[in-house]
Amino acid sequence: MGKYMLIMRASDEGRAAYEEMDFTEVIAAMGRYNEQMMDAGVLTAGEGLADAAEGAVVDFSTDTPVVTDGPYGETKELFNGFWILDVASQAEAIEWAKRAPLSGPGTKLEVRRVHGDEDFPADNEWIQKEKQWRQELGTE
Amino acid sequence: MAKYMLIMRASDEAQEAFAEAGIDFDEMLATMGRFNEEMITAGVLVAAEGLEEPEKGVVVDYSGDEPVATDGPYGETKELFNGFWVLDVPTMDDAVAWARRAPLAGPGMKAEIRRIPGIDEFPQDNEWVRRERAWRERTGQL
Repeated sequence: MGKYMLIMRASDEGRAAYEEMDFTEVIAAMGRYNEQMMDAGVLTAGEGLADAAEGAVVDFSTDTPVVTDGPYGETKELFNGFWILDVASQAEAIEWAKRAPLSGPGTKLEVRRVHGDEDFPADNEWIQKEKQWRQELGTE
Repeated sequence: MAKYMLIMRASDEAQEAFAEAGIDFDEMLATMGRFNEEMITAGVLVAAEGLEEPEKGVVVDYSGDEPVATDGPYGETKELFNGFWVLDVPTMDDAVAWARRAPLAGPGMKAEIRRIPGIDEFPQDNEWVRRERAWRERTGQL
């Protein structure tokens, strides 16, 4: 089993099309999809993000971090939400991704594996601490 | 209180600088670990994950009638991200203050901060919103 992150990506086109949709319908479609994943026991987490324009960017290029209000980059570099699934393989994560209630030009989901225990040295002090935190936080 | 997501963003420059710096992996684990511990001790850390390289990822495209899956990263380096933290703090300023303390450094290295709207912000009489709320309560998120 491994954790995979499904990252919502949309271009200008994708976002424009989204604005046209009925909000109640969007909530229902997303809700149905989320429920399918919950019933299958694969959904670990899922969040939608507030508009990128309301965000901030911290730049670590110089000695002291510099903060700027506004989005990170251009529309195609943004993402608006994600799911984290706990499934047997990347192929399975992709199968779930394909069933997401997303459609239209410029709308994509990026699927990335989330690093797990097997990726890190088990005898490392910080890795051991992290394992404990995850149990406490319930993010194991 | 609200949840904020801190998203690690690195440009080509940052990736190269990182590779050249030859940073000791154990040291990196310790530095990140210390930062995570500060946030946990302050009671603000909700979640955190690191992602496998974008090149090993897959992109599913919904432009056509059927979703199409393609191996490889989404877009160019500057459009990628490699990990995140979710914090529960009173304001954006608090989230930014924590972000400033992240053990990230070098040209092209940035963190994007976005607020995560809470379930309370959605129409409470909506069936799906109610179901989501129930799920979040069941899984200890609320």
